[in-house]
Amino acid sequence: MELLVIPLVLAIISGFATKQLLKYLALFGTLLTFLLIAYRSWEYFGSSELVTLYSLNASSAFKCSFHLAYDGITLLMLLLNGIIFPLLVLAYYHTKWINNNRFVSMMFLMQFALIGVFLSMDVLLFYVFWEITLIPIFLIAYWFGSGERKKALIKFFIFTFVGSLAMLFSIIYLGSFTNSFNYSDVVSLGLTKEVAVWVMFGFLIAFAVKAPIFPLHSWQPDTYVSSPSPGTILLSALMLKMALYGMVRWMIPLAPEAIEVFRYPVIILSIIGIIYAAIIAIRLDDIKRVFAYASISHVGLIAGGIMIFTKDSLYASFLQMLNHGLIALALFMSAGILEERLQTRSLAQMGGVAKLAPRFAMFFAIIAFASVSVPFSMGFVGEFLLLKEIYSFSWISGLLAGTTLILGAIYTLRAYQLSMFSAPKISEFKDLHFNEWLVYIKISILLVVLGLFPHFIFDLVGPSIDKLLDSVFTINLLK
Amino acid sequence: MTINLLLLSILFLPLIGAFFNGIVGKYLSKSIVGTIATGVMFIAFFLSFVLFTKLNGPEVYSLFSVIQLSDFSLNFSLQADTLSVWMTMIVTGVGALIHLFSMGYMHEDKGYYKFFTYLNLFVFAMLILVLGSNYFMLFFGWEGVGICSYLLIGFHYSDEQKGLANSLAARKAFIMNRIGDLGLLIALFMILAQFGTLEYRELAEKMSLADLSVSTWVMFGITLCLFIGATGKSAQIPLFTWLPDAMAGPTPVSALIHAATMVTAGIFLVVRSNFFFEKAPHTQEIILYIGLATSLIAAFIAIKQNDIKKVLAYSTVSQLGFIFVSLGMGGYVAAMFHVSTHAFFKALLFLGSGSVIHAMHHEQDIRKMGALKKYIPITHITFLIGTLAIAGFPFLSGFFSKDEILAHALHHNFVIYILLAFSAMLTAIYMFRLYFLVFHGEFRGSDHQKSHLHESPLNMTLPLMILAVLSVIGGVLNLPSLFGEGISHWFTHLLKQTDGLAAVADIHLVQSKIIILMLTASIVTIVALIFTYILYVKKQSRPVEDNQLTGWSKLSFNKLYFDEIYHFLFVKPIELLSELTHNILDVSILNKSFYKVAYAFNHSGQLIRKWQNGIVSSYLLWMVIGIVVMLFYYLIKK
Repeated sequence: MELLVIPLVLAIISGFATKQLLKYLALFGTLLTFLLIAYRSWEYFGSSELVTLYSLNASSAFKCSFHLAYDGITLLMLLLNGIIFPLLVLAYYHTKWINNNRFVSMMFLMQFALIGVFLSMDVLLFYVFWEITLIPIFLIAYWFGSGERKKALIKFFIFTFVGSLAMLFSIIYLGSFTNSFNYSDVVSLGLTKEVAVWVMFGFLIAFAVKAPIFPLHSWQPDTYVSSPSPGTILLSALMLKMALYGMVRWMIPLAPEAIEVFRYPVIILSIIGIIYAAIIAIRLDDIKRVFAYASISHVGLIAGGIMIFTKDSLYASFLQMLNHGLIALALFMSAGILEERLQTRSLAQMGGVAKLAPRFAMFFAIIAFASVSVPFSMGFVGEFLLLKEIYSFSWISGLLAGTTLILGAIYTLRAYQLSMFSAPKISEFKDLHFNEWLVYIKISILLVVLGLFPHFIFDLVGPSIDKLLDSVFTINLLK
Repeated sequence: MTINLLLLSILFLPLIGAFFNGIVGKYLSKSIVGTIATGVMFIAFFLSFVLFTKLNGPEVYSLFSVIQLSDFSLNFSLQADTLSVWMTMIVTGVGALIHLFSMGYMHEDKGYYKFFTYLNLFVFAMLILVLGSNYFMLFFGWEGVGICSYLLIGFHYSDEQKGLANSLAARKAFIMNRIGDLGLLIALFMILAQFGTLEYRELAEKMSLADLSVSTWVMFGITLCLFIGATGKSAQIPLFTWLPDAMAGPTPVSALIHAATMVTAGIFLVVRSNFFFEKAPHTQEIILYIGLATSLIAAFIAIKQNDIKKVLAYSTVSQLGFIFVSLGMGGYVAAMFHVSTHAFFKALLFLGSGSVIHAMHHEQDIRKMGALKKYIPITHITFLIGTLAIAGFPFLSGFFSKDEILAHALHHNFVIYILLAFSAMLTAIYMFRLYFLVFHGEFRGSDHQKSHLHESPLNMTLPLMILAVLSVIGGVLNLPSLFGEGISHWFTHLLKQTDGLAAVADIHLVQSKIIILMLTASIVTIVALIFTYILYVKKQSRPVEDNQLTGWSKLSFNKLYFDEIYHFLFVKPIELLSELTHNILDVSILNKSFYKVAYAFNHSGQLIRKWQNGIVSSYLLWMVIGIVVMLFYYLIKK
């Protein structure tokens, strides 16, 4: 319970705190949450039980209960959450954002909502937290964004809101078959296939918008570009994970009867998305846009893996979610550093940075390579397993998805080449601050250590995934 | 020391060196950095030699498992057998000499510590590649050497004139390699799907079973995909154009990565997977023809190149093609033999060219050289030895190793033999051309360069001398049976202890045929020598200006326009596709259609708004219409 209360209280306090206090609040508040999550994960390791944090049965009229609980999957998402926030604060410690009450307050509200999303064990509660996340990110982008942010934000809002409504319809429809929205009750309903298809469809729309899965992605590049870089990090590293997590936690267990209907379409769309976004990223001039499309491409692979829904594919998907979160933080932070110091996002205007800022160049290179999943990075294992699963699902889709190996290298190295190596158009570039350096080094170490020993992650999420798979498949078998 | 401990120390010594230099190298003097990096290499070589002597039978040592899932696991495990330990000795041995050379060559470079970090890191990745006991490890190292190659090709990215070209060359190398990597990855998935394991030993055992129930198509698919991987790393058609560009890297890098070790990874892969390739005759045929074509085309291009390193680069591509021909004919031992001798003399030639470039103040154009034998005698003698060895001069190492491949070809098909012999002749011609233009005739550089001509220091010439000795005597590793039972075919007996290779049939040529083969090869080389001597020394023929070339010379000089064709066929269309997808599909169609939906709501709102016009009489009218409609409805219902 304290996991939810602390960020919420901090969100309120930081709205009024003095500048000096604000920084400490931001840093130590996020650090405290991280430690609490880390402690819980440490305790939990190897178990597969659902640990209830807080449970309150609300009125039976709403069929809703305030049930917070976690298992291995939840903990991994919480850990990602717990890691990203302190790093975000650290990376932007000296910037205007961490000095701004509104920003810090919204950041804590975001953390509160995200933790709520992951901890909710009641489908209506999940929906409530899911919607709350929209408020802080919208305000951050609106207050601190740049460019055509109003237009982009309206688009963002309409897209995600329509998606959420689809989910709400599904939940209401589901409500006519159950007396309780509690997780354990709704996953054991045994719906008929027809009902299941509609239930899954609503959830799928919501998650496909948020992830995003092709062709529902068109809000994403615009929103990423017009948000301030910490906002982009929140969107990419954390918010889209809600959708991927939701697919595993809610969408498929709620209506496993329908998975056969949606498996092919979603996998096909995911693979189209992988290639489509990667091809677009090859020629873009705006570095943030390049990474935005790269994100669509990477998420396509994870979404495809989730829909295959085998043990290996789920293990790999979760590993890759953590990987993507860390890399998204580092990539958008790098883009932010370039934007802030060069006052442009256009690759054509950059160049020669490597010579002026060798330390930044080195870490940017490490992250760029990690994002194309080279060995010794976490992406290597994740991508290897995901592609293997997609390949054994159907060899042609494995081959098509595998082109990400080549296309990813093309757009990533192009962006790196243009920004770091090409003819210098600048004479001055401040190398990394100590804080930024610290963030990079932490992410690099995490990526390498977990790249060599991914079983830390597998041991955390594995038993819970096995249990989830068991329950889903026994329901399918009983019918 | 046990074998396990030896394996571990050999593998991790370069990594320790890389870590040490990478973290504290910045604060240390150059001599300490260089000594540490070179020292770990020499120790690693010494340990691999110890390991080699201790070796009896293949052994697998599992460290930990990276992924352990229900039906399969990917292990970080090492395998010591004759093939892997032999490759380790080449990588560490030649690597150590090249490290030593680099201490002198890179001495004035600002990124000295970085250079040695990358170089050690490369050796580590390469050792993972050759020492791994499964395809996963191989892939791990395979990608690893690719990154190190990228870093080292683009090492001088901040160079005033060539920085941009260097970084572009690095990018090209990485991307082209990735195309091959996809092939390799798919091959891995196929193997996993078919056999459920990636361990070499288990696979070899499964493949050797008599009742093997794998369709020929699956075998064809697996081997073809493996070979696609090999074409990327080993620079074969169609993925070879990155290697000549990779010469943008510092010369020791070209010697170590782009001649002696990394580019032989594809050959190592095929030799390692011999149990698959033996069951896939169609793939073998493809390998044979691809190798042959690569060998001829690269040799043809090398003839008119004027950059000393480009000549050597195309020579490498050509020699690798030569080796692939051997693999296509099942000549795995012959291939590994040539890989070994090639490592000696190609490393020697590259380091020699490095010494030349060093003496000439970073001049690489052979039109500006000449008469260097007077100024840099040690480099000259060793370079001559390298040239003779690669040209196949009688009784030097290249002579024997090439001969073995030619013997396979003669046994296999006479036309292929003739074409290969022709390729060997081209090799002799362009190498002697290079040698004569650089070391003989008159000096054609600037006065400034002339005044600075100097022999390199001992730490650069010593590796040259050692490699020259190896290039001379390397042939004794695998003498033909002509030389008596006791000393011949040592290398063949050695490699036969590797899984699968014992089952591969040997070829047996009668003595007279062997002698004819050797005679023909010698005559070809000597004719080429005399021909180039007359042309470049007696007649003083010099390469003409670029724009005066005509006919086949122009074709050769412009590399058969491969880069231009690829640019036209692949690069441009992909760029165009990218722009079209973005501008038309993403922005105009997808995005617009979402806006259309939004506008549709907007318009319908506008329409409905017209009803709410605030005029009471209009509301009354609608009310009346409504009542009438309702009345009618109830009337009809009754």
